[in-house]
Amino acid sequence: MSSISVELLKEWSKLGHRSALGESLILLAKERNDVVVVSPDLTTTARLVNFENEFSDRLFNVGIAEQNMIGFTAGLAKEGLMPFAVSIAAFAPMRCAEQIQNMLGYMNLNARVVGIEAGCRFGPLGNTHFAMDDMALMRAIPNFTVICPSDPHQIYKTVFAVADHEGPVHIRLTGAPGFPLIYPEDFDFEIGKAIEYRPGIDIAIIATGSVLWEGIHAAEILEKNGISARVIDMHTVKPIDVKMLDSVFAQNKLIVTVEEHTIIGGLGSAVAEYKAGFNNAPNQIMCGLGDRFRKIGNYDFHMKDNGLVAEDIAEKARNAFTEL
Amino acid sequence: MELNKQIAEIRDKTERMRRDCIEMGYAAAKEGAHFGPALSCVEIVASLFFGVMHHDPKNPEMPDRDRFVMSKGHACLAYYAALIEAGYIPREMIPQFKGNNSILCGHPSMNMPYGIEVSTGSLGSGFAIACGMAKAAMYKGESHKVFCVVGDGECNEGIIWEAALNAAKYELDNLITIVDINGFQLSGTTLKIMPINLDALWNAADWDVSYIENGNDVEQVLKTLMEINNSERGKPHALLVKTTKGKGISFMENNLAFHAAPINQEQYEQAIQDLDKAEAIRKAQ
Repeated sequence: MSSISVELLKEWSKLGHRSALGESLILLAKERNDVVVVSPDLTTTARLVNFENEFSDRLFNVGIAEQNMIGFTAGLAKEGLMPFAVSIAAFAPMRCAEQIQNMLGYMNLNARVVGIEAGCRFGPLGNTHFAMDDMALMRAIPNFTVICPSDPHQIYKTVFAVADHEGPVHIRLTGAPGFPLIYPEDFDFEIGKAIEYRPGIDIAIIATGSVLWEGIHAAEILEKNGISARVIDMHTVKPIDVKMLDSVFAQNKLIVTVEEHTIIGGLGSAVAEYKAGFNNAPNQIMCGLGDRFRKIGNYDFHMKDNGLVAEDIAEKARNAFTEL
Repeated sequence: MELNKQIAEIRDKTERMRRDCIEMGYAAAKEGAHFGPALSCVEIVASLFFGVMHHDPKNPEMPDRDRFVMSKGHACLAYYAALIEAGYIPREMIPQFKGNNSILCGHPSMNMPYGIEVSTGSLGSGFAIACGMAKAAMYKGESHKVFCVVGDGECNEGIIWEAALNAAKYELDNLITIVDINGFQLSGTTLKIMPINLDALWNAADWDVSYIENGNDVEQVLKTLMEINNSERGKPHALLVKTTKGKGISFMENNLAFHAAPINQEQYEQAIQDLDKAEAIRKAQ
């Protein structure tokens, strides 16, 4: 994997996570002949046209058929290829969750399931197109690794990292075009190893996905209020980095989890599940999507509606911290 | 090998395989077994393993082996019986069928050292995986074939048709799918539960479709499979095979009660008696 120019990363930031994914896959495929892509007729939506133009024999459009997308992917993986099955996150995993479990998880195959537009990015399209619960589903399937990259650079790193990883992986991509470039410089990325984005004493903000950006800004707001906030990029939600959590339990007084996912079964739950085994772990508040179907609205509308903006995260954190 | 001799040998094997099916199912005691759907496809599985497929029990992961996928995973008894007969699974493991921690699960669980290629049991899964395996072989320029056994009831599943259309699109002529048409599914006849014109559908999916009138006749099954295996028609192959549910055991034949059921000692003895009788008749011929 070669390092990537900041100009290109800025371009991907502008274009959005789909382009970051599609272009990263091209770079990966140039290095490895075993990399193939399977798509349920989302070649254009998922920005895979460039990939298809470059590798016409390695892009398999299986038609609008998510269950078979997974079956086909499983067969490719069983025979030693490195398939990436790319769909809209609302449809994969949910629509083909059973296939993902029994074909990829059960047989522990080296297949990658990528959900684009996870969370509320398809806000005006209605609840059929929201992926609020994909991490909850995927975390519950044995053998699966679940990764939610935070910026274009991390998407690139993730695509390359999973190609060398044993076992099935779920990648969920969040954020609208223009999603911030959080890591303009080269950085160390390892599956399962969280990144301490900034140190802090009082509060630990643990975020996953592009909403990390809001967590970072929440920490800056808190700092102005005299509260020191640590920010942790928990890109890998399963297996969760327990070493990092141990450090948080030892050093911080309040945990704030931030995710563009229902508060049931995602990052917040993963942290709470681990925390349940400790007597004196810090309190935790969860910022995420509420347990309800929602009205339609654009991406900003949904992020505000669910308190997933820096000001709201900071306020919630400040209130909880003051009450400690 | 001379064809008639090969047919005779495979017939011989099907008799042992049926015995092993009964032994395994009886060993599972009150857990029972899917006798009916396994017994219907014994000749199909035996013909594949002992007359058609290129494989080596001493080298289960031989790269150029033909792949076998039992998509109707509940018929695992027939699959295990073939693997026992071929030498992948030691015969001593028969009593372990459905036992605690056993590798002989009620539905196949991938285990390459024992020749179990793919985990199946969720209907339609194996077939979709087989299509992907065939595509991978084509992409990699490998010449082995993928053989997949699908049930007629299993063809209720939507994924079967998603995958069938996709296989036709990619012209997977290295994929040979055998549809075991025993006429029954869990709660009734296929005609009653979901009447499907399988012939019309497989043809409409643009597969190369062949037929066998008596899928419990080794000669018919073997000859047709050999013919398809050596053909190049640029399409995936569907072989529609009429069989008898519960074939070979008098009280199980066409009896829905033995789609999945336990058998008691009396039934076990009757089943063995049926198999002894069939064997005696064959030897007399």
